[in-house]
Amino acid sequence: MATSDPTPPPTPPQAAQASVRNMEAKAVLLLAFMLALLVGAALYLLYARGAFEQTQRLVLITDDSQGAAVGMDLTFSGFPIGRVRRIELAEDGKARILVDVAREDAHWLRQSSVFTLEHGLVGGARLRAFTGMLTDPPLEDGAVRPALRGDVSEEIPLLVASAREVVMNLAAITAQHAALRTSLSSLQTTMEHLNSERGALRVLMGNETDARKIVTALDRTNALLARLDGLTARADAQVFGPDGVMSDTQATVRQLKALLGEARDSLQQVNAVLKEAQAIGANTREATADLGTLRAEAENSLRKVQGLVDEINRKWPFARDTELKLP
Amino acid sequence: MSAPLSLGSALREMGLAALRWLAGWWRIVLLGAEILALVFSPASYRGERRASLLHQIYRATAPSLLWFTVLTSLLSLVLIRIVVVTARSYGLSQYALEMVVRVLVLELIPLIATLFVAVRYSVPRATDLYEGRAAGGLTAPGSPAPGVLASDLLPSVLAGMVAVLTLAALSCLVSLVLAYLTVYGFSSAAFMSYTRIVGHVFNPAVTLILCLKTLFFSLAVSLVPISVALREPPRPLSRTSLELQGLIRMFVVLLAVEVASLVGNYY
Repeated sequence: MATSDPTPPPTPPQAAQASVRNMEAKAVLLLAFMLALLVGAALYLLYARGAFEQTQRLVLITDDSQGAAVGMDLTFSGFPIGRVRRIELAEDGKARILVDVAREDAHWLRQSSVFTLEHGLVGGARLRAFTGMLTDPPLEDGAVRPALRGDVSEEIPLLVASAREVVMNLAAITAQHAALRTSLSSLQTTMEHLNSERGALRVLMGNETDARKIVTALDRTNALLARLDGLTARADAQVFGPDGVMSDTQATVRQLKALLGEARDSLQQVNAVLKEAQAIGANTREATADLGTLRAEAENSLRKVQGLVDEINRKWPFARDTELKLP
Repeated sequence: MSAPLSLGSALREMGLAALRWLAGWWRIVLLGAEILALVFSPASYRGERRASLLHQIYRATAPSLLWFTVLTSLLSLVLIRIVVVTARSYGLSQYALEMVVRVLVLELIPLIATLFVAVRYSVPRATDLYEGRAAGGLTAPGSPAPGVLASDLLPSVLAGMVAVLTLAALSCLVSLVLAYLTVYGFSSAAFMSYTRIVGHVFNPAVTLILCLKTLFFSLAVSLVPISVALREPPRPLSRTSLELQGLIRMFVVLLAVEVASLVGNYY
């Protein structure tokens, strides 16, 4: 580097410094302020990125991760509770979305929670969690769950196809020779028949002759009912009249009641006799027990007498020669 | 009447101009390398040089800090209001804050702070140095002595960089606060959701690009005008002054950095 070139004279700072008091201290303060700003911004960004929060891992499996992005939120009821940290391709060809869920919000996720990856018409995709049963066991760390896809733009062609089918069906229904139009004309004819004399019967039976038969049958039924009425009056007199069946029945019932009273008295007397017989039986049982004792004592005495006789027989002069002499 | 220039001489003129242009960039890079070497030299921060550095830092930053912040606050308020009201009218209010943070903090405020420091400090400082160079009877291109580099150029360049970083950081902070207050009012209830939106915008790649962009902006605005004023040989036939040449080169660098950051952020 050439050092022999003429150089611009350095600006002497003393003159300018003299106009500002404690300029060096203020400059140092400015530097400290700048450093504080930069460090504060860095710490705030780290905090905003979730560097200081405790998390647990959730793995969502989907067949298409389009729309998912690293850093996007997992929301529950509209509140962000987790962030997508990584998206990778699994060995089976499905996408694995690794989500870090804040520990303090992890209790909203349960074993039965459902996760969806939705695409709106406007804006990016949304990753949402739904928990129907908050009493289920909590979702464990590292849980693997499928993410259901809900794509509005994918639904539009299906929706249009369905709407078109519905419109075509409507057109077919309302066509000139369609079934609905024929049915309506038939209904109109039927209504005209209904408004005529004996219209309802004619609609039901289909022709005038059968409708007249129905009317005739009704007349005959009325006559039959009148005769049945007289028959019933006569039966009433025979059953419930002064000399009817019911009076005799009542007398019979009274006699039966008297007979039952007498039978009750007889049964009471039989009961007393049975009690007496029961007492006699008890006495007999006791006597039988005494007889057993007496018999035992008599047998004992007899055995003693037998023993005494045997003893006397063994003794002389009553002793018998019991020796057998062979010839 | 001068004779019409022949094609050969015109081509030679163009080639010479291109060479001069490239040589100018080379001189800027060379001065940048020398300044960088001085930055890591402890001798640059001792005695008179330290006093000179602190003086330049104060001169570059302190007079502009307050009213630049007020100016950017007003601009931010207007832009935030426009974006939020427009987004709300289209039913896209959930994207308004993200858009405000992106437009203001990532794009506008660093550029405005850079241009502000260029107009308020770097270009006048380069003019001062050029006048000093002219008063010293310097008529040929060359490098200043190492003592002058350390005592005058290094403080000027570092002061410009500190001014850009401080103004940009403070204005970004004020804009973020104003965006929050405009959307949510004086309530701390939405702080967590707002922080989450800010965290969304500032993913690692975007943050790195913002830091690099602001750093290169500050370097360009501090180095290029001073380098042109000190190293560019005077051209009596040229209709543009050295200050204007420095400004043009500075704008070229700023444009290149801005384009590179846009490509990095959005492609």
